[in-house]
Amino acid sequence: MSDPAVIFGGPSPEHDVSILTGLQAAQALGKAGRTVTALYWAKTGDWFSVDPGLEAGAFDGVPHPSGAAPVRFVAATGGGFVTGGRRSRTIEIGAAVNCCHGGPGEDGSLQGALDLAGVRYTGPSQPGAALGMDKLAFGAVVTAAGLPSLPRAPLTAEGAVDFDGPYIVKPRYGGSSIGIDTVADLATARARLGANVHLKAGAVVEPYKPDSFDLNIAVRTWPELQLSAIEKPLRSGSGSEILGYADKYVGGEGMVSAPRELPADIDPALGDRIRAMATRIVELASVRGIARIDFLADGDEIFVNEINTIPGSLAKYLWVEPALGFDRLLVDLLDEAERRPTTHWTTQGADGTALRSAGSIASKLS
Amino acid sequence: MTALAIAVNLVGTALAGLRWLRVAQREHYLPGSASRFALRWWFGLGPNRLLALAVVVGLAGTAVRPFGAVVAGIAIACGPFGLPLRGKAPGPLAWTRRLRTLAAVWAALQAIIIGIGALAGEPALFAALGAALVPVMVDAACAVTEPVEQRLSLKFVDQAKARLQSVRPTVVAITGSYGKTSTKGYVAHLLAPSTTVVASPRSFNNRAGLARAINENLVPGTEVFVAEMGTYGPGEIAELCQWIEPKIGMITAIGPVHLERFGSEDRIVEAKAEIFAKAEVAVLNVDDDRLRALADRLENEGKRVIRCSAADVASMLEGVDAPPGNVACAVAVALELGVPSEDIKDLVKTLPTAANRLARGEGGGGWTILDDTFNSNPAGAARALDALEAAAGEGKRRIVVTPGMVELGPRQHDENAAFARAAATRATDLVVVGHTNRKALLEGAAGRTAAVRTVDSREQAVAWVREQGLGPGDAVLYENDRPDHYP
Repeated sequence: MSDPAVIFGGPSPEHDVSILTGLQAAQALGKAGRTVTALYWAKTGDWFSVDPGLEAGAFDGVPHPSGAAPVRFVAATGGGFVTGGRRSRTIEIGAAVNCCHGGPGEDGSLQGALDLAGVRYTGPSQPGAALGMDKLAFGAVVTAAGLPSLPRAPLTAEGAVDFDGPYIVKPRYGGSSIGIDTVADLATARARLGANVHLKAGAVVEPYKPDSFDLNIAVRTWPELQLSAIEKPLRSGSGSEILGYADKYVGGEGMVSAPRELPADIDPALGDRIRAMATRIVELASVRGIARIDFLADGDEIFVNEINTIPGSLAKYLWVEPALGFDRLLVDLLDEAERRPTTHWTTQGADGTALRSAGSIASKLS
Repeated sequence: MTALAIAVNLVGTALAGLRWLRVAQREHYLPGSASRFALRWWFGLGPNRLLALAVVVGLAGTAVRPFGAVVAGIAIACGPFGLPLRGKAPGPLAWTRRLRTLAAVWAALQAIIIGIGALAGEPALFAALGAALVPVMVDAACAVTEPVEQRLSLKFVDQAKARLQSVRPTVVAITGSYGKTSTKGYVAHLLAPSTTVVASPRSFNNRAGLARAINENLVPGTEVFVAEMGTYGPGEIAELCQWIEPKIGMITAIGPVHLERFGSEDRIVEAKAEIFAKAEVAVLNVDDDRLRALADRLENEGKRVIRCSAADVASMLEGVDAPPGNVACAVAVALELGVPSEDIKDLVKTLPTAANRLARGEGGGGWTILDDTFNSNPAGAARALDALEAAAGEGKRRIVVTPGMVELGPRQHDENAAFARAAATRATDLVVVGHTNRKALLEGAAGRTAAVRTVDSREQAVAWVREQGLGPGDAVLYENDRPDHYP
């Protein structure tokens, strides 16, 4: 088994949080006796190999930490991560722990490039990542499978929305709470489209339920399907309308130190329903690695809300029942990455028949 | 004795090298600056004039006895008084790659002088001569390395060009004698909620700085890049615009800043106007007569011109402490780039006040500190006096601490005298720091109501302020900070 790599950073609004997750993973693997290559994906899109023992401060306010060695990422057969300089070589990687949150590291772009480069990686495959990042598509899949979910509609300048406000406006693609807003009516929601940079790629609206609360559960898919304890995240103040980015990430160790009730003090029957739905979603959304699935509870009702396919700190803090250490989670992730492929490309069927029976290309154009 | 003379002068050469290399670094490695500052230091102050005399007499006496060279060497090692070896304000000597190259070339030049001395059979005389000529040798080294540095920076500029080509942001370029950095911040602030915007950080406003800013910060997906462009001479901004290609150009203000390098304010206007050569839209602060004339001219040439005035934004700026002319220019850019005017009105309320630019703080006893220590200019200084009056209570102490303003060329004396006149009329105390502008400031303050005192350094001024037993209602304005390579 070759040595693992940890990938973090990325041109994403969650670049900084990803660094925290990546450094935690690198150090945990180091403690578990593994030799880790830490690959930092800078905001500019450039790649660097950095010391896995760095602290977060080394990345603050600089394009890359001092001592970082530039690396080229070649998405081609025989490619991968190639060191620069005169004695250029491809870094041997058994599998890479993908710690990128949001943006191209979590939306399938990086996954597709790693597939093309032949680098094995943890977490969602390209299609799973793309589906998990698209709130509209994910909601549609869940609804089509008959699971309870809140109505969710694309927010556009013209298009109608067939449910009433108040609304939550969310970026259609985006892994965190960044860019989320509550608005009273559709006109205000539409005005946000031009004024909020995070909504440029697309936006969705959902009904805003002021009395609802979040319930989250993590799943992992290797060595077999396993569910974590259920958590109830707590909002920082009664004044905050939705669980904000600051509640989750600001104040130390990232998601690890956010306020929460764990395990959540809920009706056991509700817990069973959540676990059953989470198990369904693993199949529906092609979950691989560790994902966090967020539910919304409102009175007696429970709704599937979102999936986070590369959750902050890889949701390590949720594994209290059963109790699993971060090193155990990481070793299993790497094992899955090496043994459960993300692609099943095949050229069967492209046997030349179509080429042989074809006339001239010009005749097909007329 | 000859050996001692050589040793003393080598030490003197090394110490002088540290001093004048730092001055060259502070003055952007412009050849000639070390010698110019050396003349100011050695022949400006009484004690330094005595030291300079010792150097001259020592050199002259060396022909008779090597002891003269010892005297000259000691004087060079010690002086000029007041010029720190490594410096603090605004920053210490930084051993960058460029400075290391410069130091190596300079050391080689010094070695040549020593070598000539050895060949000529006058080692002591030439060692002393070399020590005395350190500022000239530093300037020579600057001149020698300049073409090499140009070539080196090409690589980074090429990288930056490639990045601009691939990211393709709309570029907003901002220049002006002052207010560039804060206006850049305002533009970024107004655009940020609706647009992916990157601004060149701090004062990275020349070729190398902008190339670095682009290479390090222009992330994929950036829609707008706000570039601050500074200039020390004609042609510089034109060169920047060749490869940065701004769509929107802006001049915030014209003033007598760096006048000693330009010669006249008309030439400053011409140099700054280069920013519009390739731009589609020209944004100008037409409260300035010269910029209004420039706006007319550009319009005649067929350029789309947006005329901005403090009056445009006066109603928006209630309770916001920002120069309205700069805000007006920033608002014009935001409107041009499609930010809704209702959003702009809200965003103006939270404009960032850059550090050191009239930032407001509180002293230990509840008194107000107004910190305007960065890059002072006549218009900004007048505004700071307004702020001082507004901050202080009725009948309370209003203290102005200032070394005056520099780089104003032939107008430096008059501008400083005029500022001191205004300050000494409106404040209760005027503290003059350092020597560079002491004469002009004292002349301007003469016969006015404020109590005037002089100190040698900022530390002394701060200590004096602390002793005053200030309390609530009192206010202190720190106007401009003297870079410590100025006498």
